[in-house]
Amino acid sequence: MVQDLLRCRSEPNVLQGYPMIPGNKDKRDGILFSLPYLAVFTLFMIYPLLFGFFISFFKWDILSTAKFVGLKNYTDLFKDAKFYSSLWHTLQFVLITTPILLMMGFAMALAVTGKSPLKGVMETVFFVPYIFSMTVVATLWAWLMQKDFGIFNQVLVSMGAGRVSWLTNEKYAMWSVSLATFWWTAGFNMVLFSAGIKQIPQEIYESAHMDGARPWQVLTHITIPLISSTTVLCLILQVIASFNVFGQVYVMTGGGPSGSTRVLIQYIYETGFRYYKMGYSAAMSYVLFFIILLVSVVQYLTLGRKKD
Amino acid sequence: MKKKLTLALVLLLATGMLFAQGAQEQGAQPSGPIELTFWSLFTGGDGEFFDAMIKEFNASQNEIVMRNDMVKFDNYYTKLTTALSAKTAPDVVVVHQGNLLNYVPSGSLLPLDGYVDKSMLEDFQEAPLEACRFDGKLYSLPFDVHPIVMYYNKDILKAAGITTIPSTAEEFTKAAKQVKDKTGKWGMAIDNTTGTYKAYTLTRLFMSMMAQQGGSLLSDDTKKANFNNAYGEKALTWLKDLVNKDKVNPNELDYDAAMNMFKLGDAAFYFNGVWATGTLENVEGLNFGAAPLPAFMGKSAAWAGSHTLAIPVQKNQDPKKVAAAIKFIDWMTSHGELWAKAGHIPTRKSVTRKAEYKALPYRADYGAAAAFALPTPRTAAWEEIYGTMSDMLEKAVTKNQDTKSALSEMEKTINAIIATY
Repeated sequence: MVQDLLRCRSEPNVLQGYPMIPGNKDKRDGILFSLPYLAVFTLFMIYPLLFGFFISFFKWDILSTAKFVGLKNYTDLFKDAKFYSSLWHTLQFVLITTPILLMMGFAMALAVTGKSPLKGVMETVFFVPYIFSMTVVATLWAWLMQKDFGIFNQVLVSMGAGRVSWLTNEKYAMWSVSLATFWWTAGFNMVLFSAGIKQIPQEIYESAHMDGARPWQVLTHITIPLISSTTVLCLILQVIASFNVFGQVYVMTGGGPSGSTRVLIQYIYETGFRYYKMGYSAAMSYVLFFIILLVSVVQYLTLGRKKD
Repeated sequence: MKKKLTLALVLLLATGMLFAQGAQEQGAQPSGPIELTFWSLFTGGDGEFFDAMIKEFNASQNEIVMRNDMVKFDNYYTKLTTALSAKTAPDVVVVHQGNLLNYVPSGSLLPLDGYVDKSMLEDFQEAPLEACRFDGKLYSLPFDVHPIVMYYNKDILKAAGITTIPSTAEEFTKAAKQVKDKTGKWGMAIDNTTGTYKAYTLTRLFMSMMAQQGGSLLSDDTKKANFNNAYGEKALTWLKDLVNKDKVNPNELDYDAAMNMFKLGDAAFYFNGVWATGTLENVEGLNFGAAPLPAFMGKSAAWAGSHTLAIPVQKNQDPKKVAAAIKFIDWMTSHGELWAKAGHIPTRKSVTRKAEYKALPYRADYGAAAAFALPTPRTAAWEEIYGTMSDMLEKAVTKNQDTKSALSEMEKTINAIIATY
């Protein structure tokens, strides 16, 4: 039975609408079953995407009629110092979190697919933070890191050290938010990497062991190369997710101190929903979209397209 | 057969969804109380007092029943804006006075002039009521005024040997230094860093001090910044020096830390809006007083926000509901002593004469502040100006920037912002 299905998969006929089980109209049924989802998807994803692009050529404050301004929103944003500083803050976050989260996820996955008797416990402990909501995590860490009363500084003071301005010094603030993000989301990367590691056939490890390979050699010559497709996937997903950062920064620092951690999405949100400059906000979000798209495509083209 | 049964069950379940909306439609009652809807943005302590007032309103008469829906504060204005644009907003809404300008030009709020009788209008305090007028028309009625006020720790002042409350900026600096020398505690607790809350206090004090010297933050036509001058320099220098030169105010102090510092009895003078009263009076052992914002730099003037009650324009405006809404607003504002329990200042003169109001601790002490409340500058750019000035003042104070260059950079940025509106 399994062999038949496998053969079906590789046979070209199946792709041309040849039913898997003779007599059923799979194509028609498939389309019908997808329709409800597609309807909702079009209404709540496609339409807003197109409308957003459309409104980026207008000046609109939601309540009045929109005024056509052509490319003015785009030319304005390229002259807006706050747009550039917000984009830079987002970029800082991407550069800090991407390598560390990838390495953390990989390290956790190694621990969890290894031989330790604690690996079940570790898997739970590493993953549980991911299921907490952003607000819970960010509020918790904001209080842990609060300069005058937070527990981190209380511990430091009791050990004789001085208070650290985790979130109130612009040199540390983004790192502190990143630290909270590591705790919160590294578990997700761990899941991806452990799935990748588990796909490596045991025979390869066994033969390497018989050849006398040391653990470090196994890691660098077998494990890492064989999960390269997972690594690329993780990298692309992590970069996209980091570019979209907003929640935890907004809750922990409010974009401060003095706006030094205001990320682009916060600026987009404030411009649209606090200052009611909807068209300008839409234009900025499309520029961000194209930046992320460009980065992802470049990553995929240079790293992704290899022998699989 | 099994397949047909399954299909029938699935169809039944699916059609059940069509009735999901039906529950909201209650049978129209031709004779019975008029039902009004209201969106409240009051959460926490404020929310409890407000809900209690609505309960009492509903219990006090049987013509009108008010249904109160609380919206989380962060989402309130987004929800309100979308509802107003679709003309599906409730019958009465709360709008901060500073946000009215976002809704008035589009005709989303009903002008109330024809609906409110003269005796009710005359009972309102002048300044808050005028703040609700645009182009001569009245678009909402003020429910409260919540200015920034001063709280002071009586025990610390006694221990430091301070017998009179200072009034000028120089006197405050001197008193704060005395507190530090004699008791080791902080003299002032003005928050100057954005933590979970934005550092608005600096802007509020800066604005107030501009007005106290006879100036204003923006020009009269609100088209240009008006603070890059001697007034602005005096105000910013004082705020900066408290932290950096005199060292009587902690640096990198955020809103929560400032509040907690005062609650723990570690600071002598604390400046925040009247909403803090409720929290402070629940702290055991905190012996404090409250007073209107001192006239640091000459005249009396204090930044104030104001909650106002407005009636949205509906697709089919029901005159009975409008009349009922006005009755509701009348009742709520004339029972302002109940709202004052949350710390806010009522807006009706009749309320300030009531014995129950006068008996409330602290609130009666700063009730006079309503008279010199500073209205928000009338420009659609205000929200962006307010936020940006907070960021820049935060930087100037915490980094001890040179006053003149900090002010001129602020002026340039604010003027650029105004130009985009």
